[in-house]
Amino acid sequence: MADTGSSESNQVSDPSGRPTPMLQNVVSTVNLNCTLDLKAIALHARNAEYNPRRFAAVVMRIKEPKTTALIFSSGKIVCTGAKTVQQSQLAARKYARIVEKLGFHVNFRDFKIQNLVASCNVLVPISLTRLACHHYEHATYEPELFPGLIYRMRRPKITMLIFPSGKLVITGAKERVEIDTAFENIYPVLMSFRINKKDK
Amino acid sequence: MADSFCPDCKRPTEVVFDHSAGDTVCSECGLVLEAHSIDETSEWRTFANESGDNDPVRVGGPSNPLLADGGLSTVISKPNGSSGDFLTSSLGRWQNRGANPDRSLIQAFKTIATMSDRLGLVATIKDRANEIYKKVEDQKPLRGRNQDAILAACLYIACRQEDKPRTVKEICSVANGATKKEIGRAKEYIVKQLEVEMGQSMEMGTIHAGDFLRRFCSHLGMSNQTVKAAQEAVQKSEELDIRRSPISIAAAVIYIITQLSDDKKLLKDISLATGVAEGTIRNSYKDLHPHASKLVPSWYAKKEDLKNLCSP
Repeated sequence: MADTGSSESNQVSDPSGRPTPMLQNVVSTVNLNCTLDLKAIALHARNAEYNPRRFAAVVMRIKEPKTTALIFSSGKIVCTGAKTVQQSQLAARKYARIVEKLGFHVNFRDFKIQNLVASCNVLVPISLTRLACHHYEHATYEPELFPGLIYRMRRPKITMLIFPSGKLVITGAKERVEIDTAFENIYPVLMSFRINKKDK
Repeated sequence: MADSFCPDCKRPTEVVFDHSAGDTVCSECGLVLEAHSIDETSEWRTFANESGDNDPVRVGGPSNPLLADGGLSTVISKPNGSSGDFLTSSLGRWQNRGANPDRSLIQAFKTIATMSDRLGLVATIKDRANEIYKKVEDQKPLRGRNQDAILAACLYIACRQEDKPRTVKEICSVANGATKKEIGRAKEYIVKQLEVEMGQSMEMGTIHAGDFLRRFCSHLGMSNQTVKAAQEAVQKSEELDIRRSPISIAAAVIYIITQLSDDKKLLKDISLATGVAEGTIRNSYKDLHPHASKLVPSWYAKKEDLKNLCSP
């Protein structure tokens, strides 16, 4: 069927045939080290929204890389929505440039990746009830509340959402290595709890 | 008649106990060793044919170890007739004005009792819910949340721990004003708190369709045959790869089984009894229909009857 074909071609597999997690979102912060006048920024910049009663920051968006930034009056910026670490840094620099052009003396200080979100597909259905039963110390599975199982791995400290279709969301990582290690750890576990399709 | 040491005779002598005055008397020299001893035998005589409404042996309600003072219900009342002196009339006022440390706790216990009454739960579940609430009571992150949601979540956890789970929707129906989302969030938080306090001994298993099936069937008034068939079908459905909530699967199984029987239940009735939306039951039916021959027990319906099952 067209569906399964496209899902397989979208995923990257390493030489052993095992799928690799793909980054979907990078959240980073940077300190511009300068107090900002949010009202001025909101009035003069394009694509900026500022509702001081709702939230105390300017929400600015740029088209390339497609990202959203929260700019606070302390001069700190949170940049979300980038697909890679390099894009996130590029976007943060662009936001800093926009603020600079509005007349503030900015420095690009302490750029730090705060969160990486990756998704993956192991291509086989998983029995979440059995997985939750055997890994009760790490897994939370409440089908009434959420269809996915929430697996909190301790080393590395990563949270994973595991769905019955075999799709995975890995989040909470500060580095790419953590995502890869977490996936290395969980892959054999998932394979041991897969559901084999019986053709009767 | 007992042996005790008499100070006058300076040796152990035989001692007589006089019940009328409560005296312990030395039989040799007549010295009273102990006077006014307290009689600890029963104060009242209760007869079998007397009404059990006032049992004079016990005073007050059952002691509740969860409350600070054990639930003592002694109050100082105003004296009858004239007010008397200042002290006696003020004592009553002062006792009631003082802040009772347990007031919020008692109020919470009362709410839990009302909720469990509406659901028809046994006292063990209610007591467990009270214990859970006491453990998480009055913690800062919980302060912001809806009080009803927290109490509902305590009740939900208590039901799960006693292996008699209730769906969140059922708990929602008796908790005034708490939404499913709020109860879910409160439940996650309380479970985390309990794990921290009790050190990892919280193992609430995942819910299964079979846990709820019996109750849903009796809400619908299904016959014993159909109930047994439904239970067997649900057992078999656990092995299939169906990605739906266990409650929806239970509802769909009930639908299949009742459609095969003489007493067909409407989707509307099943939806009311289980709390699952009609559309969801229809979709779950679509998922289960291909496996109907595997699910329905052979003693209940033959292959031809299965063909009569309307295709979704």
